[in-house]
Amino acid sequence: MDDHPVRLVVGDDLNRSRLTVFFRLLLAIPHFFWLAIWSIAVVLSSFVGWIIALFTAKLPDGLHRFFVAYVRYVVHLGAYLAIAANPYPSFNAQPYPVDVELPGPAPQSRWKIAIRLLLALPALILAAVLGSGVGSGGWSSTRSDAGNEAQWFASPGIGGVAAICGILGWFAVLAIGRMPLGLRNLGAYGLGYTAQAYAYVLLLTDRYPNADPERIGPRWELPARPVRLEVKDDGRRSRLTVLFRFLLAIPHFVWLVLWSVAVFFAAIANGLVALVRGRSADPLHRFLAAYVRYYSHVLGFVFVIANPFPGFTGEPGYPVDVVVDPPERQNRWKTFFRFFLAIPAFLISGALGAALAVAGILGWFAALVTGRMPTGLRNLGAVAIRYNAQTNAYWLVLTDAYPHASPALRPPPEAEPTYPEPLEPQPEAV
Amino acid sequence: MLTLAVLWGAEAWSLWQSVLPGDLELPEVPLTGIPEETLERADRYERFFRIEFVVSELVLIAVLVAYAKWGIRFAKESAAGRIGTGMLLGMIGLALVWISQVPFRLAEVWWDRRYDQTESGYVETLFANWFQLGAEFLFVCLALVIVMAIAGRFPRRWWLLAAPVFVGLAFLFGFIYPYLTPTERLERADLHAANREYAAKQGIDPVPLRVEDVTDFTSAPNAYAVGFGPSKRIVFWNTLLDGSFGDDEVKSVLAHEIGHHSSNHLFEGVAWYALFALPGAWLIAVATRRRGGMANPAAVPLALLVLVVLDLLSLPVYNVISRHMEKEADWKALETTRAPEPAKRLFKEFTIQSLNDPDPPT
Repeated sequence: MDDHPVRLVVGDDLNRSRLTVFFRLLLAIPHFFWLAIWSIAVVLSSFVGWIIALFTAKLPDGLHRFFVAYVRYVVHLGAYLAIAANPYPSFNAQPYPVDVELPGPAPQSRWKIAIRLLLALPALILAAVLGSGVGSGGWSSTRSDAGNEAQWFASPGIGGVAAICGILGWFAVLAIGRMPLGLRNLGAYGLGYTAQAYAYVLLLTDRYPNADPERIGPRWELPARPVRLEVKDDGRRSRLTVLFRFLLAIPHFVWLVLWSVAVFFAAIANGLVALVRGRSADPLHRFLAAYVRYYSHVLGFVFVIANPFPGFTGEPGYPVDVVVDPPERQNRWKTFFRFFLAIPAFLISGALGAALAVAGILGWFAALVTGRMPTGLRNLGAVAIRYNAQTNAYWLVLTDAYPHASPALRPPPEAEPTYPEPLEPQPEAV
Repeated sequence: MLTLAVLWGAEAWSLWQSVLPGDLELPEVPLTGIPEETLERADRYERFFRIEFVVSELVLIAVLVAYAKWGIRFAKESAAGRIGTGMLLGMIGLALVWISQVPFRLAEVWWDRRYDQTESGYVETLFANWFQLGAEFLFVCLALVIVMAIAGRFPRRWWLLAAPVFVGLAFLFGFIYPYLTPTERLERADLHAANREYAAKQGIDPVPLRVEDVTDFTSAPNAYAVGFGPSKRIVFWNTLLDGSFGDDEVKSVLAHEIGHHSSNHLFEGVAWYALFALPGAWLIAVATRRRGGMANPAAVPLALLVLVVLDLLSLPVYNVISRHMEKEADWKALETTRAPEPAKRLFKEFTIQSLNDPDPPT
C-alpha cells in the first residue's frame, strides 16, 4: 500500500523549556485569536473552493496553498499545546519540529468532492478523539415529572488523546525538563491523523485518512517491555459475528466481571508479596497474567480488532494477543506507590480506550459491508489494547516497567547494515 | 426405561388432578352484547396471527435446518475451546433465529397498529428488546455450559443429569422473575380488602398486589400470577386499572389470579416442565449422537433444531395443560366470588378491547 500523501514529520529532540511549558496556554493566547480568524476565512473560502472543485475537479492553486498553510499551522499549534514540540510556532506556518508534508494540487473524483463532508464524518469523529477532544458529544438523559427527556449535547472539552498527552507532558516537563518519548509520539500521532482528516475535508487530497500508526509518517520507537502485543490477524471478519458482536460478547462481560472481583484481591496479595520478596509470586503472576491476556482478547473481540470468539481462560494464541514475561525483580518503592504511579497510565489508557471504541464502531460498519477490518483502524485498536494491557500489568504488579505510549505495535525494523564500498584495486607500487 | 415411563405417566396423572368437577359441562354462552361487527373484527384480527404464526414457524424451522447443516462452519470463528465454541454456535443460532423473526415481528406491529392494539413504532420494536435478547444469549450460554460440561464427562447419560439441573434453574427463574420485572405496589384499598377475603376463602395468605406499567408497548388489559414463597405476587397491567373495567370485573380477575396461587399452578408449571425436560433432553441426546454427542460443538446447531421442533410439537399439549389450569382458576374464582355476571362482562370486554377470540379453540 502506498504511503498517505499527508505525512507527519517529527524532528523534535524532546528537550523543553520549563518556563515556556509552565505558561504554555497563556503564551498561546495570540495564536488562539489568529487561529479563530484563519478558521473563519478557511470555512468561508472552503465553500468557494468546493464549488470550483466540483467543476474543475481540483482546487485553484492559490486556495490550495492557503489551505495547506492552514493545516500545517493547526498541527504546529496543536503540537505546541500538546507539548509535542518546544519552539513558539510562527503565525504563517514556517517549518516546525512537528510538521506535516502535504501534496500539491491534483485532479480528484468529482463525485467524491460532491459528498466530501459526508464521507469525512467518520474521520472527523476519530480525529476529535485522537486530537484535542474538541467537539465531543453524547447523550444526556434527564428524568422529569413528564417522563424521560433525552437530548443530544455537543460541547467542547479536553479529553482527546493529544490533549491528555499535553496535560501529562506538562507535569513531566516541569519535573524533568524533557517530554517523555511515548507521550510526544502519541500526541504527534493524534495531530498527524487530524491533519489527514483536515486535508481530506479541505479537498487537499482525495486519499481517505489512514489511522494506521505505522503509516502516518515516522517509524515510532518501541522500547522492549515485559508485556508486549502480538498481532497475527489477517483482517478477515465474519459478517454474521460482526453483526452480533456485542451480544455474542455478553457471556465474556459476565465472566470478566466475576474474574475481575477475584483479580482485585489477587492484585492486593500480589502487591504485598512483591513488597516483601521484591518480585511477585509465580501462581499469582500466572493468574493475573491470564487475566491481562483475557481482558485484551475480549477487547479485541468486542471492538472487532480480532475475529474469533475468544476463550474464557486467557490462553495464549489469540490473533491479537499479549505476551507477559515471567516474574522479574521489581523496585519496592515503585510497588509501594504503584496505584498512584499508575494514574497517568490510567488517563492515557482511558483516552486510548475512547479511540478504541470509535475505531471499533467505525470498523464494525466497515467489516459488516466489506467482510474485512480496515488495517488502519485495526492497528490503532491494537495499539490501544497493547497500552491497556501494559497498564493492567503495571497496576496488577506483574511488572514495574511503565507502559509506553508510543503508537507502535512493534519495534521499528533494524536498518539494513551498510558496508563500505570495496576499494578499487590499486596497482601495486613498484 | 419402562420404569421411567410408568413414573412419568403417574406423575402426569397426578398433576392433571384438579378441583374441577369431573362432570363439568361448560354451557354455551351466548355472545350477546358484543356487536357482530366487533366479532368479525376480532376474527379478522386473530386470523392474521394464526397465518403469521404458521409462516413464521416454517421460516424458523427452515433457518434452523440450514443452520444444522452448515452452522458448523462458524466453528472456525472461535478460539474458545470446546465449550466456548459450543456457546458461540448456540448464540449464532439464536441470532439467526432473531433475524428470521424480525419481518414477522414488524408485521405483528403493523397489524396491531392497524387495529389500535399498540402504539409501538417499528424502529422501537427492533431496538427496544435488546436487553431481553442479551438475556436470551446469556441463557443459551449458560444452558450450553451445563450441557456440554456434563456431556464431556458423561457422553451418553448427560441428559439424566442435565434435566434436573434445568428444572432447578426453571424453579430459580420462577422465584426471581418477580424481582426482575419493574412493578409498583397497588394503591387500591378495595382490591386489598378483596384480596384478603378471597385468599382466606381459597385457604391461602393474601398475596402482594403490584401494578406494571405497560402503556409503552400495549393497550391490552392483563394480569398474572408469579413467584413462589416470598416472591409470590399478583401483577395487574395498568391497562386493566385505567377505569375501562368495573371494580367487580377487576375483582373477578383478582379472584382468578389468587386461584392460580391457591392451586399451586406455578409449582405445577415447573413440574410439567420437568416431565417434558427429561424426555426432551433424551431425544436431543439421541439425535445428536451422530454428530459426536453434546460434548462436541458440532452438535449444537442440530440440538437447536431438535429443541425448537420439540417445542413446536409440545405446543398443543402445553395449550391443553394451560387451558386446564385457567379453567381451574376460573372455577375457583367463581366459587369465591359467587358472581358470574362480572366475569361474563369481563370476557366480553376483553373481546371488544383486545379483540380476543371469545370462543378460542384449546
